[in-house]
Amino acid sequence: MPEGKKSTLQQQEGAAKANAQRHITIDPITRLEGHGKVDIFLDGTGKVERAYFQVPELRGFEKFVQGRPAEEMPQITSRICGVCPTAHHMAATKALDDLYHVDPPPAAKKIRELIYSTFYVEDHALHFYFLGGPDFVVGPEAPAAQRNVLGVIAKVGVETGKKVIAMRRRLRDLIALVGGKVAHPVFGLPGGVAKRLTPEMQKQFQEVAADAVNFAEFTLQVFEDVVLKNSDYVSLILSDAYTHRTYYMGMVDDSNQVNFYDGSIRVVTPEGAEWKKFRPQEYLDNIAEHVEPWSYVKFCYLKPVGWKGFNEGADSGIYSVAPLARLNAADGMATPLAQQAYAKFYSTLGGKPVHNTLANHWARVVELFYAAERMKELADDPEITEANVRTLPKATPTEGVGIVEAPRGTLIHHYWTDERGIVKKANLIVATQGNAARMAMSVEKAAKALISGPDIPEGVLNKVEMAFRAYDPCHGCATHSLPGSMPLMIRLRRQNGDTLATLRRDFNGSVHRE
Amino acid sequence: MRILCLGNDLLADDSLGSIVAEQIRQLAPPNVEVVSTAESGFHLLDYVLDTRCLVVVDTVVSGSAPPGTIYAFHDHELQVVPGGSPHYVGLNETLALARQLGLSVAEEVVFLAVEAADCLTLGAEVHPAVQEAIPRLLGMLRNLMHDGTPAVAAKDPATL
Repeated sequence: MPEGKKSTLQQQEGAAKANAQRHITIDPITRLEGHGKVDIFLDGTGKVERAYFQVPELRGFEKFVQGRPAEEMPQITSRICGVCPTAHHMAATKALDDLYHVDPPPAAKKIRELIYSTFYVEDHALHFYFLGGPDFVVGPEAPAAQRNVLGVIAKVGVETGKKVIAMRRRLRDLIALVGGKVAHPVFGLPGGVAKRLTPEMQKQFQEVAADAVNFAEFTLQVFEDVVLKNSDYVSLILSDAYTHRTYYMGMVDDSNQVNFYDGSIRVVTPEGAEWKKFRPQEYLDNIAEHVEPWSYVKFCYLKPVGWKGFNEGADSGIYSVAPLARLNAADGMATPLAQQAYAKFYSTLGGKPVHNTLANHWARVVELFYAAERMKELADDPEITEANVRTLPKATPTEGVGIVEAPRGTLIHHYWTDERGIVKKANLIVATQGNAARMAMSVEKAAKALISGPDIPEGVLNKVEMAFRAYDPCHGCATHSLPGSMPLMIRLRRQNGDTLATLRRDFNGSVHRE
Repeated sequence: MRILCLGNDLLADDSLGSIVAEQIRQLAPPNVEVVSTAESGFHLLDYVLDTRCLVVVDTVVSGSAPPGTIYAFHDHELQVVPGGSPHYVGLNETLALARQLGLSVAEEVVFLAVEAADCLTLGAEVHPAVQEAIPRLLGMLRNLMHDGTPAVAAKDPATL
């Protein structure tokens, strides 16, 4: 803030005290990358009253899909999201099964799950090493200059980095082998898949799957060596900072074990008891979206429990999704080595459920293990090469729901069509919405600890950012590539919208006060 | 030389990359590869390898210049990775990571970025000012292809 403006600010500040509330916005100024936007409301004394996290949403989805053939949805929705196209493609394909009242042959379901497991190994590995790594492998207390991908490599070694890259390449090649371009998968059809798995392709999957299991074992070892052997990290996981006692949601199979591709939606209470298990088609009876007048973000909550504000506990319908939530919502993992890792996770962290958001990083490694083992099981399944991979739809389409667990949480697609299969209406609930309320509570905790009065301390940018980063929110579907640090702007405002002060970090990393 | 065009053709001004890719393909000599993708961040790794010179075409919403403004710069003019967002892996981080791992990364990387008005509305038209930037952008790309060696030493895009 230039000196000359300071007295004006103080005058305005004095005048603003008459107002009940002030408003700080931490606002992204570009869509280059992370789109986090944080709204912070101050009370009349300058203390933080409420803080909310939001991501910009794509506009015009409803209108865009109306009048299009439902069969285009797996392509359209996967093209919209450049971050996890495979998850949207899979949810959309399952919604089409439901829409056309058709059950795919066993081989088709297995091929889909095989591709999905392959995608999971890649996504979770990249996240663990390169996205979560800077906070976790390098450590949130490490100097800022080391907390980046290069810092991660410095810690785990160049050879490990090369190993991750090589694994990624092989996994992506496999997805492309069956699904076409990874960014634009084309294999899912109502009632099955477009292409069978030949014995030659199966052999390739078997080879990579065996290596993927070894890779998962290696990754768990890295986690144990770098993270668990450091008591500072363990106490950080267990620290109160980002801990909230909420409900947890995840997909489970018939034995209540974690499943990414298919099953029932299970929700457990903050105490860990089963609250409810429901079929995907019953999601509207159980999930509702709360809208705040100041925000376009829809905050998901459990409908029968109700919206009780941004509060935790069993009386509040707020729930959480993503790796930690999935582990909490299930009774275990369906594969042996992942189950061992699961048991160790809970015995180390003091039993179920675990409420510490930072434990998501560890939960992700447990899931990486499951995805690799599941990939191997499916690749070794003799039935997967059967020629029949499509049940042709014959019934008249009506409406359909498809749910999968995306890496970032429960992903719901719901379409309504006319009798020709032309979309009349579509509803998407994306993973980040499931965590939106809980993220807002974390951001609020951080903001309350850091902000008091009209001054904006320098450290607030990173600390508030860390509060939502722990959830790995998908920052919208238009995230891009160009350089630098996440642009953020904090605006301190009077209730009438006048800006009192601005702290801005540009995408070149420089911080300005205005 | 590879021209890497980024953007999602479903999202208003974000279509710029794919529009430019389509047009520049008609003009590109055989030794210039044109790639168009909607992928982001770390997923761009494959596209920065195995070429000597990489030109990246993208849109930005910086809010600091009118829509249609073209920025041209080398990757080394960008903020160095340390101190950036600890979480995010952007193209610059992807380049740095690939170099640190000793992969065959492009020696020279040039960005041509156009200020956009809206990259979030599905199915919307490209802003007229962004459309008007396309011929100029194509001219800059033609110069780069002609020279073989990008000459963006100066930040002023007018030098192209």
